[in-house]
Amino acid sequence: MLRSLKTALVAAAMMIAGWGIEANAADAVIGVSIPAATHGWTGGLNYHTKRTIDTMKKAFPNVDFVLTTSSSATQQVNDIEDMVARNINALIVLPFESDPLTQPVKAAKAKGIFIATVDRGLGEEGIEDLYVGGDNPQYGRAAAEYFKKKFPDGGKIVVMRGIPTAIDNIRIEAFNAALKGTKIDVLDMQYANWNPDKGFEVMQDYLQRFPKIDGVWAGDDDAALGAIEAIKQAGRKNVTVLGGSGMNKVVKLVKDGHDMVDADIFYPPTLIIPAIELVTMKFATQAPINGRYVLGSPLITKDNAVEYYFPDAPY
Amino acid sequence: MPMLALTQLFKSYGDVPVLKGIDLSVEQGEVLALVGENGAGKSTLMRIIAGLAPQSSGTMDFEGKRAPQTLREAERAGVVMVHQEFCLAPHLTVSENVFLGRELTKGIFTDRQAMEKASADILAKLGSYVSPRARLQDLPVSDWQMVELAKAFAREPKLILMDEPTAVLSGTEANQLFDRIRLFRDEGGSVVFTSHRLDEVKAIANRIAVLRDGQIVRVARASEISENEMAEAMVGRPLSEIYPVRQKTKTRGEILVDVIGLNSANAVIDASLTIHKGEVLGISGLVGSGRTELFEALLGLRSASCHSFELNGQRRALPHAREAWQLKLAYLTEDRKGKGLLLGKSLSENIALTKGALSGRNWISHRVENLDLVTVVKEYDIRAGNYNATAGSLSGGNQQKILIAKTLATDPDLVVFDEPTRGVDIGAKQQIYEIIARLADAGKAIVVISSEMQEIVGLSDRVVVMRRGQISGELTGEKIQESEIIRFAMGLQEELTHV
Amino acid sequence: MSDVTLNTTGAPTGSGLTITRTLEAMGPLIALILLMIIGALTSGTFLGAENLSNVFTRSAIIGIIAIGATFVITAGGLDLSVGSLSALVAGVTILFLNHSVGALGSGWLLISAGILFSILVGAAAGFLNGYMIVKGRVEAFIVTLGAMGIFRSIITWLSDGGSISLDFSLRDAARPIYYGQVGGIAVPIIVLIVMAVIGEVVLRRVRFGRHVAAIGSNRHVALYSAIPVNRVRILTYVIQGFCVAVATVIYVPRLGAATPSTGLMWELEAIAAVIIGGTALSGGFGRIWGTVVGVLILGFISNILNLTGFVSPYLNGAFQGAIIIIAVLLQRDRSQG
Repeated sequence: MLRSLKTALVAAAMMIAGWGIEANAADAVIGVSIPAATHGWTGGLNYHTKRTIDTMKKAFPNVDFVLTTSSSATQQVNDIEDMVARNINALIVLPFESDPLTQPVKAAKAKGIFIATVDRGLGEEGIEDLYVGGDNPQYGRAAAEYFKKKFPDGGKIVVMRGIPTAIDNIRIEAFNAALKGTKIDVLDMQYANWNPDKGFEVMQDYLQRFPKIDGVWAGDDDAALGAIEAIKQAGRKNVTVLGGSGMNKVVKLVKDGHDMVDADIFYPPTLIIPAIELVTMKFATQAPINGRYVLGSPLITKDNAVEYYFPDAPY
Repeated sequence: MPMLALTQLFKSYGDVPVLKGIDLSVEQGEVLALVGENGAGKSTLMRIIAGLAPQSSGTMDFEGKRAPQTLREAERAGVVMVHQEFCLAPHLTVSENVFLGRELTKGIFTDRQAMEKASADILAKLGSYVSPRARLQDLPVSDWQMVELAKAFAREPKLILMDEPTAVLSGTEANQLFDRIRLFRDEGGSVVFTSHRLDEVKAIANRIAVLRDGQIVRVARASEISENEMAEAMVGRPLSEIYPVRQKTKTRGEILVDVIGLNSANAVIDASLTIHKGEVLGISGLVGSGRTELFEALLGLRSASCHSFELNGQRRALPHAREAWQLKLAYLTEDRKGKGLLLGKSLSENIALTKGALSGRNWISHRVENLDLVTVVKEYDIRAGNYNATAGSLSGGNQQKILIAKTLATDPDLVVFDEPTRGVDIGAKQQIYEIIARLADAGKAIVVISSEMQEIVGLSDRVVVMRRGQISGELTGEKIQESEIIRFAMGLQEELTHV
Repeated sequence: MSDVTLNTTGAPTGSGLTITRTLEAMGPLIALILLMIIGALTSGTFLGAENLSNVFTRSAIIGIIAIGATFVITAGGLDLSVGSLSALVAGVTILFLNHSVGALGSGWLLISAGILFSILVGAAAGFLNGYMIVKGRVEAFIVTLGAMGIFRSIITWLSDGGSISLDFSLRDAARPIYYGQVGGIAVPIIVLIVMAVIGEVVLRRVRFGRHVAAIGSNRHVALYSAIPVNRVRILTYVIQGFCVAVATVIYVPRLGAATPSTGLMWELEAIAAVIIGGTALSGGFGRIWGTVVGVLILGFISNILNLTGFVSPYLNGAFQGAIIIIAVLLQRDRSQG
């Protein structure tokens, strides 16, 4: 009963949002499976996904879309199986976690469905036809480079980790590797789960514990916002805060100049856009599209901030 | 050699002595009754025999050997206890309960068919035809007692201990139980039971042992001791009339409640009734005839409809639960543990609960409530460990008195007593009868629902008899006798020439 | 005959900090003190005024919600929707404030209107929950689980999955609600203490509180004792909604925004605080000061884990779980009389 209630809620929410998408006699049906909007970044993801789908539908009326948003890996497996049963021609999937999603996606591939994975791959190589991803190791490296440049003679920094997932591990590993041998002293790494409330609490406690903190890597912009407030409340000066992901609020701070934040790492949820566009074109125009596209994670600074600023997006 | 022999049994809880040197024996093929006031030590003695509690000193031998010390050992030896407070699982079926812990198996699976058949057989021998598949929570309380008994018999006992076995049974059901007990006895089994119904005790027991203040004060063959002598031995002093004398000169007061055509689900069918001030109206009938349901329906505790309802001559709608209290109509439930008292809360809180809910005053004054408690304890002679005791720790009789105090604290005009002396010892019974008589003499309208025929006959000015949800007859004056009541309760046409 | 020692069982008067006699009641307090000793021993900054104030202030948000939850649980009910409701109230209140700047200016008038607005929304949501549960006769677990999904969906829809932020002009006006101090004590702490005192007094000394406990103890007995059962039960949910609104009003100025992670897991923390504090999950007995202690225990656990480095952050959750179980065990030390 609970499942049907939840399904009913999801269906209702989708309808309210204005687009109950049903596949009917079209040339192709593209299934899109993404995580639900549980935090800032996925919220932005959902926004851009829906916008892109709407645009593609207008541009190519002979292509239909089915969208599911899942709040857990298990639910995503179910959603994908449901879509496969509805005879989709292509599947664009941002896996919640790589390993649990490998089997269902492989099964879809075996049915001849075109597979595009976004942001992270699957447990096995070679299943997807198209990969559009972010560069998580570069994300971690960019953060490390930033602090190395900021504190060439060494400095004390604290780190906040994200939700305990493979992505977080990859980033932190790359970060740690890049800092090896430098004079940067990482005082501690606690989990803030990319969450502003947690970021606030953890930062407050870091400030209590360490009388001198030169820099904070908050993991992403949500946690960074929380950290900023905590630092403001404690009245501490000369603390540099770096987040990540390119949230418009934080990019604006970088753009306009802020005493704590002068950079951001670009890792936007907009990476779903090229994936959807490419797959749509494959079916609408029969253009052959395969390959691996890894989008870089450049550092955003005051100089280039205006390029990365999207005030109307929710993220 | 006796089946069970107790020698100089002592039991204390902490420094409170409860049993002070019990010497008792139970022969094979005998029914022994234990009678005594609440607090005399009957339940404690039973628990020790059943293996639920160890004695502090003294010996207990069963079939010549050291008696079992734990419940499991006792059951294996053939000593089975039937509890007053049912040890049943409401969500399970009858047969599941009967075989709880001793399920019959076919390989690794439970053999449901065998268990259902066996349960049905045992129950039939007890005179009950309840379906073994029925879920307990859907059955009335008297069926629970039958299942509890069936559970005991299923264990193939040698000695059965029963605590108030007929408390919730009607006359006919009790008789069937007695027949089963006699059968069991004739087959060589023995029974020890406690009961407050002295007439029943005389009917079924071979020997009677009277317990008072932790000691056995008298043992006699049932034929050699009268009910009065039993009661006197229990309280240690001569008893005056059990039923109080009422003021004879009072004529019946005016009508307080007049209801016509009351219906409630399938339990009450087209009942019409008047209740007068200053009178005791007895409601009789077999268990399941709808007596409780009638008054719950009248006082808003179950959904009902009626043709008309008048209170003090004013026509109005049937009140809902809280409204009834506000109109000074009080219902004293038969289920004092489930619907009457908050067992985990203090005595003072329980007594003040209804009065407080009606008072409209927001603040609770613990000082006033404690003073009220002192008054109630004195007035009703309540025996509690201390003033801070929880309601659940009191004996049945004392709980009933607390419930009465709670009800009367609201100064109602109508009080419906539903089974007011169930599970209550003779001393407390008398007190409750006194209270009822005094209330009626003071001009209150009193209704007494009871399954004890004698009680109805002894207390009532007028009797209404119910049968299968309908009112089947009304009796006044000389006509108030057991035979007449039974006639209406069972729907017999001719007068019975003898009972 | 029997000992009739007269003990006038006076209830704790006024402030919820009166300590009762039994070990069971002391359980949560002992756990809190032990925790503070551990904190003091493992970190030099633990007992500092600033750190204690930080933790106490942070805990006030869940604490205020948990006070409402104490009432609901004592009456035998349950409300799983409080976290999502916080997010919803936060979001719509911010929207209301942003839209009303023109009409009401950006000073105290607007802030007061915002507070009133959020209380109305919270209480209304609580009433809806209560009505469905009591009159609709649907299990509290189911109704509030559904409400949890509905509230969260609505706010996600309103925000397009993103955050809803206060206009910059309002941030400064609202800041003191979280960051301000009165007499050297942070505002949220004062609000928590005031509400706790009121809550404790109501539960112990006011007729309504007794009815709440009676209903949770045995609903039939309550009905048979002239207590207005339906009315009281619905009111507990309204109180919960009110508490959520107050907590949200305090929460919003901290970050100046409602984010998609606002309120996540708050219901579990609130209920955990209530249980640790000694209120029975099955109802019938409530202890507000225990709830406050429970909330502080939860706050100190994560604080100590952050202040010290020796527990791997991977194990934070295990540590928290263990402490919660110990705190509850300390309570159940005495077997039921």
